[in-house]
Amino acid sequence: MSEPTEGQPSAYARIQSKTTLAEILETASEFERTARDFYRDLAPKVSKNIRWLVDELAQEEQRHYDLFMNLAKTPGLEDQLKEKVKTPPSNTRFSDHIHIPDLGEHPDDQSILQYAMGREKTAMEQYQSLAESAPEGPIRDLFVFLAKEEAEHKRELEKLYYEVVHSGGV
Amino acid sequence: MTGKPKARRSEVRYEDRGSLLAPLKNLQFLFRPPVTEPLEPRPAAEIYRGFHLNDWNACIGCGSCQKVCDNAAITMVHVPGAPEDPVKGIRPLRPAIDYGRCCWCALCVDICPTSAIKLSREYVHTCTQEEIDSYFVLPDEHGIHGTPYPLGWTKTPTNDLLDLERQPMPELPPEERVDNFQEMVLGYDDQQAIIEASRCVQCGMCHDACPTHMHAPEYIRAIWRGEPEEAVRWMYRTNPFSQVCGRVCTHRCEAACSIGRRGEPVAIRWLKRYATDRVPHERIKAIAAEGKADYVTGRSVAIVGAGPAGLTAAYDLVKKGHRVVVFEAQPKAGGMTRYGIPYYRLPEEILDREVEVIESLGVEIRYNTRVGRDVTMEALREEFDAVVLAIGLQMGRSTRIPGSEHEDVKRAVDLLREAGEGRALDVPQTAVVIGGGNVAMDIARTMARFQMQKYGEVRITVVALEDFDHFLADPVEVKEAREEGIEILDSRGPREVVIEDGRIKGLVTWRVKSIFDEKGRFAPELDPEDERFHEGEWVVEAIGQMADMSLLGEDLIEQLEWVRGRLQVDEEGRTAVPWLWAAGDDVHGPDVVHAVADGHRVAASIDACLTQLEKTA
Amino acid sequence: MRPENYQARSHPPSHEYELFIGPNHPGIEGNYAFKLRLHGDRVIEGKADAGYLHRGFEKLMEGRLWIQNIALVPRICVPDPVPMEVSYSLAVEELCGLEVPERAQWLRVLQLELSRIAAHLFTFGGHASTTGMYTNMFWGVADRDRILDLFEELSGGRVYHIFNIPGGVRRDVPPGFLGRVAATMDYLESRLPDYDNLFFRNQVLVDRAKGVGVLDQETALELGVTGPNLRATGLAFDVRRDDPYLVYDQLEFDIPTESAGDAYARTLVRRAELVQSIRIVRQVIERLPEIPGPVRAPIPNPLAWKVPAGEAYTRVESSKGELAWYVVSDGGEKPYRVHVRGASMMHAVQVLEHLARGARIEDVAQIMFTLDACPPEVDR
Repeated sequence: MSEPTEGQPSAYARIQSKTTLAEILETASEFERTARDFYRDLAPKVSKNIRWLVDELAQEEQRHYDLFMNLAKTPGLEDQLKEKVKTPPSNTRFSDHIHIPDLGEHPDDQSILQYAMGREKTAMEQYQSLAESAPEGPIRDLFVFLAKEEAEHKRELEKLYYEVVHSGGV
Repeated sequence: MTGKPKARRSEVRYEDRGSLLAPLKNLQFLFRPPVTEPLEPRPAAEIYRGFHLNDWNACIGCGSCQKVCDNAAITMVHVPGAPEDPVKGIRPLRPAIDYGRCCWCALCVDICPTSAIKLSREYVHTCTQEEIDSYFVLPDEHGIHGTPYPLGWTKTPTNDLLDLERQPMPELPPEERVDNFQEMVLGYDDQQAIIEASRCVQCGMCHDACPTHMHAPEYIRAIWRGEPEEAVRWMYRTNPFSQVCGRVCTHRCEAACSIGRRGEPVAIRWLKRYATDRVPHERIKAIAAEGKADYVTGRSVAIVGAGPAGLTAAYDLVKKGHRVVVFEAQPKAGGMTRYGIPYYRLPEEILDREVEVIESLGVEIRYNTRVGRDVTMEALREEFDAVVLAIGLQMGRSTRIPGSEHEDVKRAVDLLREAGEGRALDVPQTAVVIGGGNVAMDIARTMARFQMQKYGEVRITVVALEDFDHFLADPVEVKEAREEGIEILDSRGPREVVIEDGRIKGLVTWRVKSIFDEKGRFAPELDPEDERFHEGEWVVEAIGQMADMSLLGEDLIEQLEWVRGRLQVDEEGRTAVPWLWAAGDDVHGPDVVHAVADGHRVAASIDACLTQLEKTA
Repeated sequence: MRPENYQARSHPPSHEYELFIGPNHPGIEGNYAFKLRLHGDRVIEGKADAGYLHRGFEKLMEGRLWIQNIALVPRICVPDPVPMEVSYSLAVEELCGLEVPERAQWLRVLQLELSRIAAHLFTFGGHASTTGMYTNMFWGVADRDRILDLFEELSGGRVYHIFNIPGGVRRDVPPGFLGRVAATMDYLESRLPDYDNLFFRNQVLVDRAKGVGVLDQETALELGVTGPNLRATGLAFDVRRDDPYLVYDQLEFDIPTESAGDAYARTLVRRAELVQSIRIVRQVIERLPEIPGPVRAPIPNPLAWKVPAGEAYTRVESSKGELAWYVVSDGGEKPYRVHVRGASMMHAVQVLEHLARGARIEDVAQIMFTLDACPPEVDR
């Protein structure tokens, strides 16, 4: 994990210093890009039977990246964002009780999922706290939106986690 | 007879001459209302046996009506678009009635397992010559003419012809079983088995639902006729693990059983057990050997793993005349049926007998030989014409909650394997089990027995994420575990293993508020307000299992194709590598009878493939 | 026929001739032929010619499950189907050792007597029509319909009730049913004076029926006559009394007899039996509410039902006489052999041939109907 991700305090500080919606989105997209690259680099290192998981995570980050990039380009951004932030993200989740492991050279599927969930959780929490500190207006809306996106992703990962880890319980 | 007392004579005297005037008295009828019925349509009686009505939503197409019909008036007709679900026991067939044959006895109503068929209070159907086909009707709930006639003859408890209660299975009471590993289910005697078998209506839903399509209707009928040997013969046509399945099968057949629609399904699994117990071992071996090829093909197959999937494939292939060698890492065969299922459910000697039947056909099993360590896949590939991977799911998953790395946090599969090897578990006085499936029940009940032996009391708590409405374990297992003094808590999410001074104190859980999302996927919501502590010196994880694929080696893993972590196989069980087939739990999830079905599937594919080689050679 | 096989038949003297009655004619409830050799209007000889209703019941039943036969047995006798159902059920119950619940036994008696009333009403009508008194026939059929209404309400079927199965009956009585039975009995009783005036005390009937088809007791016993035909010769023999089944031993009723043994006596015995049946039905109505259920003993799944090997002969008193089922099981899912001992077999063959000898041609139909034979019982 050589590249910085938004999971570290420097990223938090960096995004706090941005003021325009476009800038924030750009920084957020950058985080997604680095995450995507992280998973892409990880893929060849893991066994083929769990590579699908890493590939999926990379794809999901790519999807976020595309979404944020497109949002930044969309005219009338504020209106759209307002529309998307109506559902508050949920926060009493299953993944909160899973350790975030230090991914070694040959992580297994469970550690990868744990890592990914932890990452989404941190991102979600950061966007939430940014939203709380931001003034009422489009910027807060944007942070809320980003927090919600990450929360949704985390939720999807939790379902996957159950399917992989818990559903063999006959 | 002449001595009998003379009975009183009738009051109209025979001696009377009769009277010419007497009939004239009836002229008074000219002034009385007629005795004939009015001409208006007369409503039929409340239980009139009129035309058929069939509730298509309730009807499952089992065909019991057709079987009981004494005039062969009923034909089961395929209805396109009607629901079809072999697992639930639903066929897209509906009864069509030929009113040229029907005698309105209503036995179809009385026998119908679902109560779907009823008769209406409609009296008349008639037609001209051109519409003569109108006597052949596919009735639905609107009846023959689509007119709203009320219900007539229906099924009531009085005229129900089916026996909805199964024969009770004798078993050891909790106090007699909780301190030992004696088999707790005692099995039917002849009389019980015959009575239970007689409940079957021979619809064959069980056959369709069974992964390996066992000929359950045939063997149930054979048991009913008092021919257990014939029953065993039917069983071994599809299942070389019949003795095991007679005890621990997940019995999809019973879930699909038509009798189960309103009552208790036929105890198909126990009947299977009855027949295999009843027939002497040597006879079973002879029956299993029936149809074995009296030639050798000169082809050979290696099978990795002597579990149900591997041995089923071995059984089929050896009967086709191929040489079969099974490689087994453990000292005994049976796989998870031996090292995963406790003896009180499946006694060791049953498994030994089952394996002996298969070995007696000429299957060679190399014990204590771990592929990947003692022999490589590459070596197998070189020595054999085909290789089957049937390694099962031997590794337990961990929750990886805080504290779960402690050495006294155990995996259920590891403990069960230890018990399966005949070793006594060094159980502590208290333990918590995480998991809500049958494995969790198995380990909890196994530990309970050791606790009872060691301490004279059982102190085990099972915590499951699922609520009891969505519980994974068999309800019978839950009931029996409770009888043995095990506490089972539903909707508890494990949060942390509490460790003090290097020793486990117990487990903290939060309540699960909801477990599934709106799409039915697992998405537990935990409630931190509802926290509980469960005392236990061991925490045993029984949440999920996985296959240890490392034995394949990185190169082979790279050559193979995978779907979401599972080895990708086609419908014949072939992998992306031409010489390798895969079967069993590692491909299709944990279940004995699925493994058996899988074993047959790959054996058929391999046999076809080897025969093809023969022809092209 | 090949010409070489033709043999000239010796023809009777010119004053003798043959007459075929039937198979469709008013003398009998069903298709049944009777071939007469006549001298003027006197019968020299009659030859019964059965077979027009042969449906092979006994053979068919060997191919059907024990339960399936319950739909077949009532069809052997249309006017009086209940004794068929009951005696078949009794036979199977005897083979299986099934205990029939008491309430079911009372319900069977109720049906048996209602069926007897219906059958006798039918026979009066038939006898009347053979003597040209058609009004009585209409009345008989109309009043029989009231019994059929009761059967429809009780069993769901007017004619073929298919209501008695081995083990008991298929359902209990519907609410208020016994009250309606009682009302129908009152009605029928109130009709009796009308029937007496129109028919039983009618000079025409007395003149036509008295002294016709006279059967003495000794011959009757020789020929295997049972039922009202036997009781009309003065012998008070009735299976219900002499070999009681169900709950007949708990019921009070008389066995009416006549002594003349002619057509009129037979009809009078039936009329008196109708009164006795009403009496029995009233006792059932009175007792039934106190008798607890169930109405059926549990039987195995009918699709997997083996009746223990053995044989059973169960007889009941039908409206025609002694009716019995001889059922043999080899322990299988279907009867090995069944045989119906229908009273009509004797009445329609040897008795009819015996009585027709010397009778006048116009009395033949009357003799047949007062013997109350049921052709399907002969043919089966």
